[in-house]
Amino acid sequence: MQAVKFCQRCLYGDDHPLGLVIDEQGICSGCRVHDEKDRLEWQERWALLEKLVRPYRSSDGTTHDCIVPVSGAHDSYYIVHLVKQRLGLNPLLVSYNKYFNTELGVRNLANLRIRFDCDILVQNVNPDSVKRITRASLRQFGSIYWPCLAGTSTFPVQTAVRFRIPLVIWGAHQGLEQVGMFSHEHEVQMTRRYRKDHDLLGVEADELLSMFDTLTERDIWQYRYPDDHSLNSVGVTGIYLGNYVRWDPKAQHEEMIRSYDYGSASFSRTFDCYDHVDCFNYMDLHDILKLYKHGYSKVTDHACREIRHGRLTREQGLALVRHHEQRPAVYARQFCDWLGVTATSLEFLLDLHRNPDHWYQPAPGRWEFHGWSTRANSAVQTAQATPDCKFVQNSVLDTRPDPRYIVVGKGYPS
Amino acid sequence: MLKRRLVGVITVKKGWAVQSFGFVRHLPLGRPEVIAQNLDRWGADEILVLCIDRTLADAGPDIDLVRRIGRMGLSTPVTYGGGLRSVDDGMAVIQAGAERVCIDAMLWREPMVVRALSARIGAQALIGALPVSRSGQTIAAYDYLSRTERPITTQTRALFAQQVISEALIIDWQHEGHARGFDTDLVRRWPLPGVPLIAFGGISEPEQLEELFCMEGVVAAGVGNFLAYREHAIQNLKERVRVPSVRPAEYECKP
Repeated sequence: MQAVKFCQRCLYGDDHPLGLVIDEQGICSGCRVHDEKDRLEWQERWALLEKLVRPYRSSDGTTHDCIVPVSGAHDSYYIVHLVKQRLGLNPLLVSYNKYFNTELGVRNLANLRIRFDCDILVQNVNPDSVKRITRASLRQFGSIYWPCLAGTSTFPVQTAVRFRIPLVIWGAHQGLEQVGMFSHEHEVQMTRRYRKDHDLLGVEADELLSMFDTLTERDIWQYRYPDDHSLNSVGVTGIYLGNYVRWDPKAQHEEMIRSYDYGSASFSRTFDCYDHVDCFNYMDLHDILKLYKHGYSKVTDHACREIRHGRLTREQGLALVRHHEQRPAVYARQFCDWLGVTATSLEFLLDLHRNPDHWYQPAPGRWEFHGWSTRANSAVQTAQATPDCKFVQNSVLDTRPDPRYIVVGKGYPS
Repeated sequence: MLKRRLVGVITVKKGWAVQSFGFVRHLPLGRPEVIAQNLDRWGADEILVLCIDRTLADAGPDIDLVRRIGRMGLSTPVTYGGGLRSVDDGMAVIQAGAERVCIDAMLWREPMVVRALSARIGAQALIGALPVSRSGQTIAAYDYLSRTERPITTQTRALFAQQVISEALIIDWQHEGHARGFDTDLVRRWPLPGVPLIAFGGISEPEQLEELFCMEGVVAAGVGNFLAYREHAIQNLKERVRVPSVRPAEYECKP
């Protein structure tokens, strides 16, 4: 078993899949960069943002000023709020159809477009290709989410090139927020390298093609990132609002609930009711794969974030992680129906990706978990009871008695 | 006139590419091989991979990493440094796919091994790395293992002066990772005229590159952290450096 060093402040270990550096004081890079949130002068940083976007404003207001990638969840309302209401830009919203849509996600996206009165483009990739890629990525590197990650990171940039709208505005930078990959002051921008390295798990669309697989050019071409010449000729620049705004997803979502009726819902596998309510799989099957491969799951990300913001103690965070992380998938049947595999086949495929650093199989069909929450924090006393994190749940993922993916677009009816 | 080279530097700690600040603070970046592939596509003139924890851990060179980079079929020459202890280590690095080897602790610990390695792989394939800082009117070398400064020894000077090593990588370790940080006095006070220099540590701006490329002895400049913040960082630097001896920027264009 690999020896893992843990941060003394949050719950992350130094084998974090994004990379994590723990310094001589035992504090991780993520916590160190998070400290900047209380040190930086955010009004000055907002002024930097205003200066940065100024050249991109349409002079006559007849064209879009920027591209904003959105979904029916995950900071989209707050990003559009900042871009449209505070910066006064006219964004073209773009959304990649993940096909794992919940009723609440479809509702949230429609409400977003109506409330903010924006144009929106939705990309629907051939669902047969998406299923073929999903089968390949699940088998090859244990991801059912590769097409979603590739689509959401590629479509906005393709649109920027196609419509010659150079500015793409994203929310927070995941690597900065989680593991402190950059200081806010580096003002890191979107890069193809980061996308491949982290969003796409190191695998570009063309690298999925193999003579030993059934995927063809026809399946993957829509996931290709524009080449450097195209990016340069349009001057595509992707910026992150999190470098200029004190990013706090909980507070932001609650503001969006109050101001724009953002819909939230509870999940079995985490205490956060705001992230990823548009998707049946992200906080479910995808999250279980994360636990299998990396020895921790999204609830640890949420707990670390809340610890850093001072709303949870480390002990309370660990109690929440232990409470949620072993919960079974709720929507596995829907995934099997969509992909056309049996539950047994899916279980077999998932088990292939259990990381022996975190899982031990004492007998066929039995698994013992030795992930972060079991060893991390052996020195940390778990809180007696799971705390109430005070997340507002104002809706449910789906009201139907037998929920199915709302596939829309080219995906209808299945 | 030989072209001045823009070297993309990848600092590696515990197998991960990191940003490094003054040799003490590090932030994670990603997989070194993905960064190398990106630098190759951007048109870096050379890629320097420095594994900063291998010597301290006596772990030898990270041959697996060199192989992974080698398998990517890059057209940019790759230089590897970190953990080398012997001639065999140097040979293994070359055989794994690196064009050149960069040595640091070996320079002052085992100069005879350096001479033997140079005899095997050739001086042109050997770079000597010296973290340095100003010390009065001269410069001092920094031993990052003991975190102490010392004069550049006579034996080390001889390795450069006798062309056992082809180029010196002088690292402004105090300003490493800090924008506009590189102290050009380190080049001015370099005590061995005629030794080709690669400047590194706190080089972020085209104006710095212009100044360095016009200085006597500087054949290349290394940029590390600052290549991670923007798309096309190499091309942007090259386009803004108004020195004819720099290979022009290129943008990949797929048919």
